[in-house]
Amino acid sequence: MNANLMCSSPIRSLHNVGVCYQRRSGLFRQSPFWALNDVSFDLFRGEVLGIIGRNGAGKTTLLQLLADIIKPDRGVLQTNGAQATLLSLQIGFIPNLSGRENAIMSGLLLGLRRSTIQSRMKDIIAFSELEEFIDQPIRQYSTGMRARLGFSVALQLNPDIFLIDEVMGVGDANFKKKSSEAMLEKFHSDRTFVLVSHDLSMIRRLCSRVVWIEHGATRDEGNPEAVIRAYQACLIPPSNPLPRIPKETTGKP
Amino acid sequence: MHKARYFELVFYKTYADLRAEAARTYISFLWWILDPLINMVVFYFVFKVILNHGTENFVSVLLVGLVFWKWFTNSIQHALNSIPIHLGLIQQIYLPKLLLPLITILTDFIKFMVVFSVLILLLLLIGITPSVAWISLPVLFALQLLLVTGGGCLVAAINPFFPDLRILTEHGLTLLMFLSGVFFDVSVVPEPYRVFFFVNPMAVMIDAFRLVILENRLPNWFALGYVFVFGAIILAVALTMLARFDRVYPRLTLA
Repeated sequence: MNANLMCSSPIRSLHNVGVCYQRRSGLFRQSPFWALNDVSFDLFRGEVLGIIGRNGAGKTTLLQLLADIIKPDRGVLQTNGAQATLLSLQIGFIPNLSGRENAIMSGLLLGLRRSTIQSRMKDIIAFSELEEFIDQPIRQYSTGMRARLGFSVALQLNPDIFLIDEVMGVGDANFKKKSSEAMLEKFHSDRTFVLVSHDLSMIRRLCSRVVWIEHGATRDEGNPEAVIRAYQACLIPPSNPLPRIPKETTGKP
Repeated sequence: MHKARYFELVFYKTYADLRAEAARTYISFLWWILDPLINMVVFYFVFKVILNHGTENFVSVLLVGLVFWKWFTNSIQHALNSIPIHLGLIQQIYLPKLLLPLITILTDFIKFMVVFSVLILLLLLIGITPSVAWISLPVLFALQLLLVTGGGCLVAAINPFFPDLRILTEHGLTLLMFLSGVFFDVSVVPEPYRVFFFVNPMAVMIDAFRLVILENRLPNWFALGYVFVFGAIILAVALTMLARFDRVYPRLTLA
């Protein structure tokens, strides 16, 4: 199945993409910092792509690029118009509003129409197990209750591309199991997923392809087993230093 | 397809912010009326009682000036911070950044409408009678809304690049308050200086509101035309900036 998918044209295509942040170091002085400096890969419809790399490798910036939140400073990012949404739990929550109102607020921000959210309110209430608490202000909720509401809203999303940064299950043990199962069920649809995680066994289990980002550049790409093995080999022995990427000094603001 | 959702989002967020604000205090919605009332009493006390300033109709002149000035200054100040306040939000989801100042401007417009209703009640109480000239009020509202939207979006667009703008705006607004004739009628401005006085669009607006509401006269349409052009130009500049930097704002970390 994947072989067929690979023949179709990519829905996101990155060629030597770089993103530069200006760090202020004085009144008029700025020093450029390339969060990403040379990333290239294609994303195809229907695949589950894993992204691995150390902390600070640029994975979050990469997701922001894929979600069309920011634009690259160099290189080319081609998109076919497919809409990508970053799974953001509890986004836009306002403590003084009720669970129901916050579900609408969060859903609207995540890309749902108000009528859609309202028609699925029953599912949201049932899945979050909030029942009679749904009309109480969420400032009275426990952390777990808030997490359950946030997740239940996000579960209603069906974007063309689902971008997931380290969140699969939330809440207590029971709800964690239930929510990660609901999330995994989504993976069996024909939607496209990009999964960022440090949980390599999960990446291995779920992804059809893996991209390894190191110091803002693609270091390796391809079969999950092979890429993960190379990544682990690089992580474990400290006697295997990485080639330093030369420091950039020029960049447009 | 997205446009309809953005409309829903702006209106729902406005509703949510108003509700959340009301829920923060014990007497909630009453503050929308009490807050400007107390403000009026303070200025009345200072100017009429302490300084013994002003003419016989000073109270009504002051009330009208303050209500419309408050609408302007609140809108500008709230719009100014609208992008930095939602930095976390716009780093996680894409939103046209224009929506953020629009939400605060709409919120302040609704609060203004409440205050305006109170103003009319107060004016009727102190003996002002409505007249046909009042039918020009919707035009004046639309004009000030244009001015407020243009100004609000412009400071919202610049502030993330230049956070010091917040402090400058505070002082700028204080200066503008005194230059807009909030505390005095334009008749105290000597004739040769009136041209300069009316370069300030808020001076034109406050004068127009006083003419229509207190003196039952029609406003100077030529001066209002100037306000329209002024408002349209700054709005165009603001919209251009917000569109141009739409995907730059999420990257500004210093805000």
